[in-house]
Amino acid sequence: MSSPAIPMPGSIGRSPDPDVAPPAAVEDILATAQALRWEVGQEFHERLVEAMYTEAARLGDRAVTRPGTEPRFDLDRSIDRVVTSRRWGFPIMILLLALVFWLTIAGANVPSAMLANLLLDQAHPALKGLAAGIGMPSWLSGFLFDGVYLATAWVIAVMLPPMAIFFPLFTLLEDFGYLPRVAFNMDKLFQRAGAHGKQALTMTMGWGCNAAGVVATRIIDSPRERLIAIITNNFSLCNGRWPTQILIASLFIGPLAGTSWLAGAISAAAVVVVALLGVLLMFAVSYLLSRTVLRGEVSSFSLELPPYRPPRILQTLYTSLIDRTLIVLWRAVVFAAPAGALIWLFANIHVGGDSLAGHLVNLLNPFGLLLGLNGVILAAYLFAIPANEIVVPTVLMLTVLTSGLVGQGVGAGVMFDADAAGVLTILKGGGWTLLTGVNLMLFSLIHNPCSTTIYTIWKETKSVKWTTVASLLPVAMGFGVTFVVAQVWRLVAGG
Amino acid sequence: MTSPLVLLGGTAAVILGLGLLFWPRLGLLARLRGARDYARRVRTEDTLKHLFSLEIDGRRPTLQSVAGALGASPDAVAGLMTELADSGLVDLAQGRISLSPRGRDYAIRVVRAHRLWERHLAERTGYAEVDWHRIAEREEHRLTPEAADALAQSLGNPAYDPHGDPIPTASGELAITGGLSLSSLGPGDRARIVHMEDEPAVIYSQLVAEGLHPGMVLNVLETDGDRTRFWAGGEEHVLAPLLSNHVTVAVLQPEADLPEPGIPLTQLAQGQGATIVGLSPGIRGAERRRLLDLGFLPGTRLFAELRSPSGDPTAYIVRDTLIALRADQARHIRVQP
Repeated sequence: MSSPAIPMPGSIGRSPDPDVAPPAAVEDILATAQALRWEVGQEFHERLVEAMYTEAARLGDRAVTRPGTEPRFDLDRSIDRVVTSRRWGFPIMILLLALVFWLTIAGANVPSAMLANLLLDQAHPALKGLAAGIGMPSWLSGFLFDGVYLATAWVIAVMLPPMAIFFPLFTLLEDFGYLPRVAFNMDKLFQRAGAHGKQALTMTMGWGCNAAGVVATRIIDSPRERLIAIITNNFSLCNGRWPTQILIASLFIGPLAGTSWLAGAISAAAVVVVALLGVLLMFAVSYLLSRTVLRGEVSSFSLELPPYRPPRILQTLYTSLIDRTLIVLWRAVVFAAPAGALIWLFANIHVGGDSLAGHLVNLLNPFGLLLGLNGVILAAYLFAIPANEIVVPTVLMLTVLTSGLVGQGVGAGVMFDADAAGVLTILKGGGWTLLTGVNLMLFSLIHNPCSTTIYTIWKETKSVKWTTVASLLPVAMGFGVTFVVAQVWRLVAGG
Repeated sequence: MTSPLVLLGGTAAVILGLGLLFWPRLGLLARLRGARDYARRVRTEDTLKHLFSLEIDGRRPTLQSVAGALGASPDAVAGLMTELADSGLVDLAQGRISLSPRGRDYAIRVVRAHRLWERHLAERTGYAEVDWHRIAEREEHRLTPEAADALAQSLGNPAYDPHGDPIPTASGELAITGGLSLSSLGPGDRARIVHMEDEPAVIYSQLVAEGLHPGMVLNVLETDGDRTRFWAGGEEHVLAPLLSNHVTVAVLQPEADLPEPGIPLTQLAQGQGATIVGLSPGIRGAERRRLLDLGFLPGTRLFAELRSPSGDPTAYIVRDTLIALRADQARHIRVQP
């Protein structure tokens, strides 16, 4: 197969203008061309394009001189041989991710506490006092400061510090050049699940924030594989859900161990198990989607592994704070403020002797118990659609409100937090068992994405259908999983 | 006495129900009728296509053959034939079934839509080869002649579909392609694959799995009664007659047309260098251009540098850049170590 001589590019694939009637001579030429079309062979276009590229490369090679002929990036290759080796590739990956999480969780504790102290313990009473001072009616100050302000402040206090740590760390790894190696290492697994290797990156990004993870799926070219990545991103346990997991694990799972140092390890392990279960579900759902409703197109996989380079720390800090942290935080605030208002109204509007929230909890309670949860948890998840951060405070408030515990809480519709012992007392008072704790951890992993993420999914896909699927599929799965766990648990435990 | 509210509500419900049933174009009945019309058109077009393909092969259609092609009973087909004869698409004179000129035009239009769509799938989408025929079977009934012309123009008026079948032109001309069956070749023969039959899908998917594509040059090594052993695309293949009968080849002059040299890139050991000798005809369209963009060009030197700890993909150094490719792409690149 010899490559053909290069014809003039203008003569390729251009058909005659249909509006102009061709004169006889042109018609002859067209007829000849038509006859020749069958003879030039099937792969004419492919061969032509290849010849053009080859010629371009030849011209380029003639004009450009390169120092040396053998591969040069020696340090890069040495790093690559380690981070993609059979023995060390996966352990290094897991270690680095664990380090990022540890830095995020441990590092966020102090600033989170400071922000909570400032916004919740100092500013909130001050605002209430100010309102009382200028004679604002109590319903208005309750609505504005207990409802709108408190929920917003809560989201900022819980969400901002971990995101401000996680995203820059993640961006540093990206900037250094390590993340493409993660995609390289993991591609086989994703390939088996019918997904794209770059989904490894959007998945890890989802551990910071699902909305950011959904935006990150833009790096996947094929629409089908991108949709799979978007729908399954919710199974990455996001920053907003880590605190719930850690709290519940340390309250309900840790104490099973007995000794205190073991308790810490066991509750940490429980959280890791939940996060890994999320990864497993991500693969399982990707597999099912790519073989059923999203069957079809496969995109070509070509991944450039860029040379390593020292990360530009300041620029990274700036872009990750502006592009990722602040945008996501802003969206969360926009959604949290109305949610706070709604929670306050539901707790304070009384119909027929009980608050709306009370009615809602009673309505959801039978279903909640069937799932090994309770009405309070389901109601809290309804209220917390805007931001998963407010699940625990809402649960505490609703539990106090509906179970009539005396001496706890700070008023209807006012979210609050307590130390671990206080939380445990309230929850036990609300009838919680070990099963409730376990199922809450499961449901926290497998439920609908928060409204910020749903909105982002819609913005990215512009499809009502897929946004609905992405929102409802996980919550249906969550109901299924908690239901089965609850029934099996009761069967085994005899409760 | 029922309450007026219930009566009002009931009436509204009845009106709504009637509307849902009988609304023109959107109502349930209209939709059912639309679906029935569509099903009838599909049956008509499939029949004409079958008659046309037998005509090309010089065989005579029977009620049974049509019934087999449609998956319907001969009785139903008999009724269908009368219908088609009444509308002037089929000629039933002298007890023979044949296409009328109008029916032939219609059939050619459907074939054109089908093959253009296959070409479109191959060039522009990432659907697997075994899915092309199935999708085109569906789309051929939906593509209007104008849309087919627009599609042809945007594809650069291709002459052949990805299986090597000629695509009829807008004016209905169709090249007659010749060629021999692969099973008829003897040892030492050299030939180029010009066509691979895409029906039935079971056989076609086995040919695809072998890595065979129209445009490949093959060298027959040995034929022992029922099996053909040959060299193509840098690998040895053995095909049973059931499979090799579905491959049409054009015989080449052994001394003039050398087969593509080299081995698939996937066979390169880690750390080994090689020179690219060509891209297989099996990778086409956007995917092929993507590889060319990345610098996988004939004559380029590359090194198999890293293998993922999970075995696939492999990263190659090409033009001072490290690029990872999955094995199902790399196998289309032939290299000379």
